[in-house]
Amino acid sequence: MLRPLLLIAAILVLGLSVLGADYAAGQATLVATYAIAGLGLVIIVGQAGQITLGQGALVALGAYAETLLAMRGVPPVLSVPAAVALGAAGGALASLPARRLGGLYFAMSTLAFALIVEEMLVRWTSLTRGGAGLSVPTLSWGGMRVDTPLEQMLVSLAALMLAWLACRRLLAGRSGRAWRAVREDEVAAAEACGVDVAATKLRAFVLGGALAGLAGALYAHWIGFISPEQFGLMFSFELLMLVFIGGARHLSGALWGALVIVSLPQLIALLRDVLPGEWSRSAGLETVLFGAVIVAMVLLRPQGLASASGGAQASVRKGTED
Amino acid sequence: MLSLIQVLTSGIAIGCVYGLVALSFVLIYKATETVSFMQGELLMVGAFAAVALNTGAGWPLWIAAPVAVAGLALLGAVLERFALRRAIGQPHLVAVLLTFGLGMMLRGGVTSVPAASHDIYRLPFADSVLQIGALALSLSHVLVIVATVVLAGVLAVFFRYTRAGLALRACSENARVAALMGVPVASMHTLAWALGAALAAVAGLLLAPITFIHLNMGLIALKAFPAAVLGGLTSLPGALVGGVFLGVAESLAGLVLPEGVKDVVPYVLLMLALLLFPDGMAAGWRRRR
Repeated sequence: MLRPLLLIAAILVLGLSVLGADYAAGQATLVATYAIAGLGLVIIVGQAGQITLGQGALVALGAYAETLLAMRGVPPVLSVPAAVALGAAGGALASLPARRLGGLYFAMSTLAFALIVEEMLVRWTSLTRGGAGLSVPTLSWGGMRVDTPLEQMLVSLAALMLAWLACRRLLAGRSGRAWRAVREDEVAAAEACGVDVAATKLRAFVLGGALAGLAGALYAHWIGFISPEQFGLMFSFELLMLVFIGGARHLSGALWGALVIVSLPQLIALLRDVLPGEWSRSAGLETVLFGAVIVAMVLLRPQGLASASGGAQASVRKGTED
Repeated sequence: MLSLIQVLTSGIAIGCVYGLVALSFVLIYKATETVSFMQGELLMVGAFAAVALNTGAGWPLWIAAPVAVAGLALLGAVLERFALRRAIGQPHLVAVLLTFGLGMMLRGGVTSVPAASHDIYRLPFADSVLQIGALALSLSHVLVIVATVVLAGVLAVFFRYTRAGLALRACSENARVAALMGVPVASMHTLAWALGAALAAVAGLLLAPITFIHLNMGLIALKAFPAAVLGGLTSLPGALVGGVFLGVAESLAGLVLPEGVKDVVPYVLLMLALLLFPDGMAAGWRRRR
C-alpha cells in the first residue's frame, strides 16, 4: 500500500516539474479515474477469475446516470451514489448468466450485455441524445466547484483511495477468500468449502459494477462531454488490457495499468513526431502501435507488470500471495 | 408473400455470412482452445486483398478472389507460428487480448493505406436481379447462399474423408490421444488457423456484394459470436445453422419490430439462450427429446 503510493507521489512530482502543473494534474486525474474502473476489473478478473468484456458498458451507465442527474441540478451527494448504484445494478444484471456458466460462455454473455447497453444509449435519443452526446456540467455542490485540474486530481485521488481501502478490506476477508476459491476451482469451492458460487460471482460483479459506476461518474465530469461511442467495445478491451498489463492479481495492478494505458497514447503521439516520412502521419499508425504494444505485452509478460517487479521472489511466494 | 420470401432470402444470405465467420471462430476454438477476436479483421483484410488484386493490380476476379483467400490462409498460418502458438494452454484472457491486439495491428495497417480508408469498394460481381415470375431476388443473395452450401459440402468432405481433416478433428477432440496416434498436433494448430483465416476471408468476399467493402465491415464478426454460442460453441454445423437462424431472426425482427430493435436481436437471443440453455441450443433440444 505504502510503496505504490510513494512511487505515485514521486511520479506526480516529476510530472509536475517536467510537464507543467495543469497538464500533469490532468493526466493524474485520468490515471486515478481509470484506476478506479481497473480496481473493479481486478476484483472480477483477477480475484474471481471471470472474463468480462462489458466493463466499458458499466462505466457508461455510471457516466450517463451522473450526467443526467447533474443536468437536472441533483447535488453530487445524491447523484454519485445513484451512478454507483446503477453501475452495481448493471453488474448484477450482466452476471445473471454466471449462475450456470463459466469461462468463455460467460464472457460472451457480458459481450452481449455491453452491446445491448451501447445500442440502448444510441437509440434512446429522448434521454441520451444518442450519438450527438451530452455535455456534462461541472461537478459542484453548494458554492464549491471542482473545475481546475488540481481540484479534479484531488477529488479523483480521494475517490481512488476510498475505493482502494474498501477493496483491500474485502479482499482480506471472507469475500476475498471466496472469490479466490471460485477462481481456482469452482467445483471444489462449492462442494468442499461450502462457497455459494453464484452468489460469490454476483458479489464480484456488483462490486466491480459499483467501481465502474464511480469511475464513470468522475470521468464524465472530467471529460465534460459523453457519447455512446466513447464507451464501446474498444473501451472495454482497453480496461481489460489495463488490468492485464498491470497484473490482474494485485490491486496495485489497476494503478500500474492505468498509468500505462493513459500514457501510451501520449508516447505514441511523441513517437509520431519523431518518425520521418508521410506514413507516420497516417491515422492507422496509432492503432498499429497500440496493437503492437498489447501483443508484445502478452507475449513477453503474460503475468503483467506488477508481478514482474518481484521476479524470482514472486514465484517462490506464489502459493500464498494474492 | 413475395416480400416475405425476399426478406427471408436476404436474411438467409446475411445469416450465411454470420455462419461462416462463426464457423471459422469455432474451428479455431475447437482445435486450439484459443478464442479469436480478430476474425472480423481477417474478414476485412481478405476483402481488401481481393479489391487490391482486382482493381489495383488489374487481375480478373476469378483469380484475385482465390489468391486473396490463399493469402489470408498463409497469414493465419504465419501468425500462428510466430504469436498465437504462445497462447495455447494459457488462460482465455491471454488469447482474447493477443488476438485483439493483432486485430488492431491489421486494422491499423489497412487504415494507413490512404486509398483504403477513404473509399467504399465493390467487387464486380452479382449486382443484377434474378427474376423468377413475379419474384425478384437479388442475385448476390442467391450467390451467397449457393456458395455457402457448396463450401459447407466441401468442408464436410474434408473433415470426413481426408487424412488432414480427420487428423484435425482428432486433435480437436483430444489433443493428447491424437498425438499418441501420430497426429502432428502443432501442425494441426497451424492448419486450423490457416483454415480459420481463409474461411473469414471467404465470408468477407461473400459479404462484399451485400454491404460493400470498407474499414468497418469486420464489425459483422460481432454477430458471429451469438451465432457460435447458439450453435453450442463446439459444433461446426451448429455454428452455420446458428448463423442462418440469427440472420433470419434479425430480418424478421426488422419486418415486425420498430426501427433499431433489429440490431439488438442477436444479443438478446444470445443472453436468453445462455440463460435458458447453458450448453447451447442444440444440447437443450437433444436433452429434451
